[in-house]
Amino acid sequence: MTAVRTRTEAAPAASVPSSGESKRFRLNSWDAKYTPYLIVAPFFVVFAIFGLYPLVYTAWVSLHDWQLIDGNQGFVGLDNYVHLFGDANFWNALFNTISLFVLSTVPQLLAALGLAALLDRGLRGSAFWRAGVLLPNVISVAAVALVFAQFFGRDFGIVNFLLGLAGIDPVDWRADTWASHLAVSTMVMWRWTGYNALLYLAAMQSVPKDMYESATLDGASRWRMFWSITVPSIRPTILFTVVTSTIGGLQLFAEPALFDPGFAANNSTGGSDRQFQTLVLYMYEKGFRLFDAGYAATVAWMLFLVVLLVAIVNFSLTRRIAGKG
Amino acid sequence: MSRRLVGSVAATLVMVLAAGCGGSSEANGKIELSLGLFSDFGYDKLIEEYMASHSNIKIEQRKVKMEQHNTQLATQLAGGRGAADIVALEEGVVSQFRASKDKFVNLAEYGAKDLKAQWADWKWNQGTADGGEFVLGLGTDMGSLGLCYRRDLFEAAGLPTDRKEVAKLWPTWADYAKVADEFTAKTPNVKFVDTGRNVYKAILDQTEEGYFAKDDSYIAEKNDKVKTAFDTAAALGTKKQTGALEPFSQEWNVALKQGSFATTTCPAWALALIKAGAGDAAAGKWDVTTAPGGGGNWGGSFLAIPKQSKHPKEAYELAKWLTAPEQQKRIFKETGNLPSQPKVYQDAEVQATVNEYFNKAPVGQIFASSAESLKPTYRGTKDSKVGPVFGTALTRVEQGKQSAADAWTQALKEAQDAVK
Repeated sequence: MTAVRTRTEAAPAASVPSSGESKRFRLNSWDAKYTPYLIVAPFFVVFAIFGLYPLVYTAWVSLHDWQLIDGNQGFVGLDNYVHLFGDANFWNALFNTISLFVLSTVPQLLAALGLAALLDRGLRGSAFWRAGVLLPNVISVAAVALVFAQFFGRDFGIVNFLLGLAGIDPVDWRADTWASHLAVSTMVMWRWTGYNALLYLAAMQSVPKDMYESATLDGASRWRMFWSITVPSIRPTILFTVVTSTIGGLQLFAEPALFDPGFAANNSTGGSDRQFQTLVLYMYEKGFRLFDAGYAATVAWMLFLVVLLVAIVNFSLTRRIAGKG
Repeated sequence: MSRRLVGSVAATLVMVLAAGCGGSSEANGKIELSLGLFSDFGYDKLIEEYMASHSNIKIEQRKVKMEQHNTQLATQLAGGRGAADIVALEEGVVSQFRASKDKFVNLAEYGAKDLKAQWADWKWNQGTADGGEFVLGLGTDMGSLGLCYRRDLFEAAGLPTDRKEVAKLWPTWADYAKVADEFTAKTPNVKFVDTGRNVYKAILDQTEEGYFAKDDSYIAEKNDKVKTAFDTAAALGTKKQTGALEPFSQEWNVALKQGSFATTTCPAWALALIKAGAGDAAAGKWDVTTAPGGGGNWGGSFLAIPKQSKHPKEAYELAKWLTAPEQQKRIFKETGNLPSQPKVYQDAEVQATVNEYFNKAPVGQIFASSAESLKPTYRGTKDSKVGPVFGTALTRVEQGKQSAADAWTQALKEAQDAVK
C-alpha cells in the first residue's frame, strides 16, 4: 500500500525539479528496499515466537536436570547429552526412525511419481481421480491408525486372514521389528502418496508440451520421455517433497503411537521391546511418562540435528540424481 | 507424518509446558468450577443435583482418557495454569503427584481431617502426606479384587461353573495355574486368561510392599514377592495359556466379544469394561468370584484441588460432597464403582446388590469381603515409572520373544534406570 501511494504522490511533482526530489527518491528507494521485509516480517515474528524461542528454550532445558512438574533442578551442563550417547534405547529409536523413514518415504515418493504420471495422461473423470488420491490425506490420522491397527491385528486382523488364505502363518505385527515397521510404513504411505502425487501432477502440467512432441518425433519411448523430460522438469517439486517428507518422516509419532495398543494405557514404549519406538515416541516417553523434561529436550535437540543432517544430505543427493536425468 | 517446521518438534515439548487456558472464572455472578476426570466416575446426575441446590455454582466436567488426563495434569501443574478446580488422581499415580504436593491445596486447611473416619484407613492414608498433616485428596472409589470367568467355557472344559465351587478351585495363585493347565488340556484352543500382565499386577497388589519398601526405597530386585508374581504370570505366558493381549485395548475388546479367553482379573471397576467389551450377546456368560490369594486393591481414585484453582473453598465443598457416603452409595448402585468407605460397603443395601449381567453375581458381597481382607500395597513415588517396565517384559514372554529369565533380567535393568 505504502509503495503505491508514494508513487502516485510523486508523479506530478516529478515535472518540477526541486530539492524535494532527492528526498522523495530516498524515500522511494527506502520503500523499495525495506517494504518487502516488512511484509514478510509477520512470518518471522511468529516463527521467532513459536519456532525459534522454543528451540532455544529447549536447548536451555536440555542443559538442566529438569522435571516436568517440579521444573528446574539445577544445571548439569552436557550430562544429558553424554548420557544420551551411551543410551541404547536412543540408538534403537534412531535406527527405528531411519528405518521407518526409508521404508515409507522411498516407495511413497516413487509411487507418487508413477501415480502422477498416470493422472497426467488425461484419464476420463480426471477431477474424480485427482480428488480421490487426496482423500487418505484428509482423514484424521487417528482414524487411519485405528483402522490400520485393526487390519494388522494378530488374532482377528484382516491381513493375517488374507495371509492365512495364502497358506502363510499369521504374523504378530507388533512383536517383530520388521513386521511392525512394514505395518507402520504402510499407514504412512497410504496417507501421503496421494498428497505427493498431486504436487507432482501440478508440476507436470506446467512442463511444455512441445518438448514431448519433439521427443515423440525423435522416436523416444514413453519411459525415456518420463525420465528425460518429466523428471528433470519437475526437479524443484521433487526436491521440495523430498525435504518435507524427510522432515515429516523423521518426526513420525502418531502412526507408531496409535499402532501400539499400550499407548492408551500409559505404556507407550512403541512395542514390548521398543520394536517401533521412534525418536519422537522416545522423547514422549521420557518427557511425558517419566516426566524427565531435561532428557526429553536433549532427545528433541538430537532429533532436530538429525532432521537437519538428513534433509541436507537428501537435498544434495536428489539434486544430483534429478539433475542427471 | 506432518509437514511442520523443523523446530516444532522442540516447540511441542515447550509449548505444552506453557499450554492451557481457561480454569475457573466468574460469569453472570456464578462461580464456575471445573472437574478434571477420566473414564466414568458416575457424577453426571450428582452434579446436576448439586447445581440445582447451589444456585451460585456452575460445574463443568472434563473427561479424557486416563493416560491423557495424567499427562495433561502434569503439564498444567508445571505451567501453573489450565488445570481443573478439582482433579482426579488415580491410585497408581497419586504417589507420583504426592511428590509435587506443593502444587496442590492442603485440604486440611479446610477441615478435611475431620472427615478421616469416613474412609478405610489405608485409603485415607494413600491420599495424605507428611504423616497425615497434608491432605492431598479425598478418596472416591476403590478397586478391590475379584476374578471374572466364563461359565460356558468352564463347562466346556469340564470345570465347575458355580461361583463358590470355582472359588474353591483356586485358594492360591499356584492353584489357579493348575486350573489353567487342566483347562488348556481340555480345550487347547481357548486361552485361559487374557493377559499375564493383569495376573502379575493382581498378585503384586495383594502384597504390602511391591517395588518399593514403605520407606520408599527401591526393593524390586530383592523382593521375592515381585519375582514370584512375575514367575507365576510368565509361566502362564510360556505355556501359551494367555491371550497376550494389551489389557483394555481394542484387541482385548475384540477377544472379549469373540470369547477367546476364559478368565480375567476383576477389580470392581473392570465389570463395566467387560460388559461394554463383551456386549449383550455374552450376558449371563460371565460371572464373578473371589480372586486367588485373598483381597487386593487395584485402582480407585482421589479428588484433589490444584493450588492454581481460583475457588479452592467452593471446590473443596463440592469434592467433600461428591465423596460423602451417601453419594458413594448412589454411585455404586449406578456404575458399580466400589465405595472406599467401610460404612458404605457394609451397608445392607450395597451388600445385597447383584449384577444382572454377570449371572446375578452378588458383587456387593464379593467385593466388600475382598475389601475387608485386603492389604493395600505401598506405592512408591516412582511406582508408575517402574510398573510398566515389568508389564512389557511379560508381553515379551507372551510373544515368545524372550525367556522368562531374560525378560526378568532386562526388566530389572530398565527399572533400575527408571528409579535413578
